[in-house]
Amino acid sequence: MNEISQKDQAILARIGVNEVEKRDRRRQKRDFGVALLFMSPALLMVCGLLLAPVFYNVYLSFTNWRKFTGLDELIGFANYERMLGNPFFGEALTNTAIWVVASIVFPIAVGLGLALFLRDVRFSNTFKNIIFIPRILAPTAVGVLWFYVYAPQGLLNRGLSAVSGQQVDIGWLYQDNTVTPAIIATFVWQTVGLVMVLILLGLAAIPKDPVEAAQIDGASRFQTFRHVVLPLLTPTLLVVTILSVLAGFTVFDLLWVMGASYPGQRSLSLAVYMYFEAFQKGSWAYGSAVAVIIGLVVLSVTWVQAALQQRVDRMVR
Amino acid sequence: MKSLKARLLAGCLSIALVTTSIATAQEVSFVHDKGFWSEAFQKVTAAAKADAGVEIVETPYATAEQYKAYIQASLASGELPDMFTWWTGASFTELVETGKIANLDAVWDEMVASGEYEASAADLFRVDGHIYAVPLLLARWVMIYNKEKFEEAGITEEPETWDELMAAAEKLKAAGITPFNATVHEGWRGFIWFQELLLRTDPAAYNGIHDGSVAYDSEPVREVFEIWSDLYAKGYFTDPRSNQEIEDFAGGNAGMYLKGEWVVGSLGSNGLENDEIGAFIVPNITPDLPSAVVIEGGPVVVSADSIDKPEVQQALKFWTSTEGANAWAEASGNYMGNLKAEAPNPIIAEISEDMSANSTAAYLRWWEAVPPDLQGELVAELNRFMLDPTMDTAEDVMSRMQALNADYWANQ
Repeated sequence: MNEISQKDQAILARIGVNEVEKRDRRRQKRDFGVALLFMSPALLMVCGLLLAPVFYNVYLSFTNWRKFTGLDELIGFANYERMLGNPFFGEALTNTAIWVVASIVFPIAVGLGLALFLRDVRFSNTFKNIIFIPRILAPTAVGVLWFYVYAPQGLLNRGLSAVSGQQVDIGWLYQDNTVTPAIIATFVWQTVGLVMVLILLGLAAIPKDPVEAAQIDGASRFQTFRHVVLPLLTPTLLVVTILSVLAGFTVFDLLWVMGASYPGQRSLSLAVYMYFEAFQKGSWAYGSAVAVIIGLVVLSVTWVQAALQQRVDRMVR
Repeated sequence: MKSLKARLLAGCLSIALVTTSIATAQEVSFVHDKGFWSEAFQKVTAAAKADAGVEIVETPYATAEQYKAYIQASLASGELPDMFTWWTGASFTELVETGKIANLDAVWDEMVASGEYEASAADLFRVDGHIYAVPLLLARWVMIYNKEKFEEAGITEEPETWDELMAAAEKLKAAGITPFNATVHEGWRGFIWFQELLLRTDPAAYNGIHDGSVAYDSEPVREVFEIWSDLYAKGYFTDPRSNQEIEDFAGGNAGMYLKGEWVVGSLGSNGLENDEIGAFIVPNITPDLPSAVVIEGGPVVVSADSIDKPEVQQALKFWTSTEGANAWAEASGNYMGNLKAEAPNPIIAEISEDMSANSTAAYLRWWEAVPPDLQGELVAELNRFMLDPTMDTAEDVMSRMQALNADYWANQ
């Protein structure tokens, strides 16, 4: 039906359409070649420094590489099977899940609150700068700083002692029930500044008309926020959520520094567990398998978030 | 013109390559993970250049993890440094079993024949009857005490029996001084009192827990936890959560401190000088046991590919000589077992004398003796006990330690 008859082809050839098509194809090829040339440094870097190590890591996870031997010995899924039966892996997985949820909920809740509060107050820029300062510090430095805040004779216990009038002697970083919340609080302290700034940018981009229309219609401040501002802020909140999820999954520095003396350190998160197995014990293949699992989980979560983002974008349009 | 330029460039490159290869051929690469001694190593390498004419290029690594990764990768690629430090015990055996480490039997024959080393000093570096390292340090783990605190408490003699040690602890307590300084700082210190108490009650069990023949929930181990828990209940220990253990003791927080001799230098740099401290070997709890002490050895190994290089032989000769030992002792305060070298400080001299007088047997430190795969998990459990030193916790700790231990040995 769609096939071009010989007669039609002869007509197209006569008016030069085939030549134009050929010329276009040649130009496209040339343009693609030029584009490839310009992209090649970036492509080489992505392939050499990102994709190749990722694929090599996947290969390693199927080997028996431990310390000095086993790099060329393939053992199938044995490392993954070992992982499933290891209680430390289970604990690290649970802790990571707690971290991810906490790194979404707390920075966004506090960041949103601060952004809304600081929009209309005097000296707001000064406050914003002060809140943002921890973000520019290295996580290791933040960890060392807060390690001393949480120390038995540290600032926190002294402050609580002064307020309560009794000697407070909590080992915040030494107890199962306090170590994770204490480090999460530090994480929130450091990350909330960036979240606040991103939300402020999102708020600034919201058009005034729908907000004013809602107010003219008699909507309260809460109703305006709930039904107008929040839906329009959703794309920004999704971006912040993706950043928070990635930060939650990959947090390492704070845990390594602040959890150094905690007996259950290795189970603090999957990233710490991976480092412990690979670098401290020399179980390179097993550590690679843990890294593959972290990568797969992060990929899955970000894929779901990207799908959500697309849906929200379509709704906003 | 082009051809001339190309020739000039090739000529320059050849000269540069030849110069580089001559320079590197005469150098001996020495890599270690003891960054805190980097300055001391540099002093020794300067002495090696001045005295023996050998150029040793020292490269420090900041952390043990980075360092292990580097050595493991170097070994896989066949590019090991000429000389490097490692650990004794099971991880030393693993390294030697790769076949890439040089046999140093002949070097030790000379060291012993010169009268500078006892043949037994090589025991820590022996695998299947052959010797594969020379010493970086030999540190005995002893009880350091603060002379001023002892005086305050009215203690006039160093304790020679367990009862005397307990009496000294009670006197210190009565004088308002905490007897023993011990923490879980940095996560690795939990084994110190455990190893000492087990060695002092049952040395056979101490050896047995390292090869899997004695369980971590067996009676000898339970007895250790009972004694340890009792010492905590009596208030003999400082807060285990302190994150400045050495500084605390130098500042006078306790009367005694169980540690390797290398801590003497750190105490000095924190204000507690050599003449303000003394040291003694912890007495046995079971009285009829022979004299014993825990020893920590630091080995320096040589790559099998480098052992025949004349400059490496020269470097080894200098390192194991009395001049080398003195240079190292002066720079770092460490003792490496050279009998003709001067003791780096009076504490080391005193302990050497005591050991010689009592024919004290040396036992490898728990950290090196235990299989490396179990180190981290087991010491975390011991730390957990120190943070909650009750017998209920001890039972749980013993059970978890034994589960890990049994699982490990079942798979060997």
